[in-house]
Amino acid sequence: MDITYINPFIEAVNNVFTTMLDVTPKRNGLKISDGGSSGMLLTSLVGLSGQISGVVALRFPPPTALNLASRMLGSEVTSLNDEVTDAVSEMVNMVAGAAKAKFAHDPPVELGLPTVVEGTGYKLRYPSKAIWLEVPFSSAAGDFTMEVTYNPKQGCS
Amino acid sequence: MKALVVDDSMTIRRIVIKALGLVGIEDTAEAADGAEALKAAQETAYDLILLDWNMPNMTGIEALRAMRQAGVGTPVVMVTTEAEKLRVIEAIKAGANDYLIKPFSPDQLAEKVKNIVGSSASTG
Repeated sequence: MDITYINPFIEAVNNVFTTMLDVTPKRNGLKISDGGSSGMLLTSLVGLSGQISGVVALRFPPPTALNLASRMLGSEVTSLNDEVTDAVSEMVNMVAGAAKAKFAHDPPVELGLPTVVEGTGYKLRYPSKAIWLEVPFSSAAGDFTMEVTYNPKQGCS
Repeated sequence: MKALVVDDSMTIRRIVIKALGLVGIEDTAEAADGAEALKAAQETAYDLILLDWNMPNMTGIEALRAMRQAGVGTPVVMVTTEAEKLRVIEAIKAGANDYLIKPFSPDQLAEKVKNIVGSSASTG
């Protein structure tokens, strides 16, 4: 499996977080994941379809989600409310959009509408043989991870 | 100067409205999808529309085509994650006046708006 496809997604995280949130994320390695998690997490995810198919997910512990939403909204948010859900939705939307543009497919890859899941100890599943690549980040606003699963259509890359 | 800000994300609407304030545009209205935007654009004479692409009910590009077909000539800036060159061309062909890719800084948005407002003012 070619794991270099993760690079546009990592670049996109850096671009989105520095431009919209004034946060410079630091990448802490890369690992293969089964989509599982432990502890309370807010996960925003969005589907990709067309010449590639997959899912991009950003997973935030609640304090990180609150910090990032507060930065994005320009006012302090203290509870996991609709504003936080909306802010993390838009973050994954922008990350997926910026990454898919780097693949430059014709026709362009389609983005779905983001979804947010909140809870403890759940696993992300995708109906394919694809594996999840997990990229942990640390930042001044807190730690978070990005997980991506991706299948090129046959004959595409 | 009155602007319509269209995005299904409340967060982005808030960021855009704040950025419009940088260029002195305080009179704003909001729509959360393309259908709402189309209705608003037909009912009210806005000076500027900032339009997202991917939204429920009706996408921004569908709304833009419908606006132009309905004779709405208000300048439209697409503000979207759709960054491929093909998408930009598609939007311009549909009648967009300018294009801003997310993520963006408030200054970038303000600059686009200044260009559009300036050029629409000079062309009447």
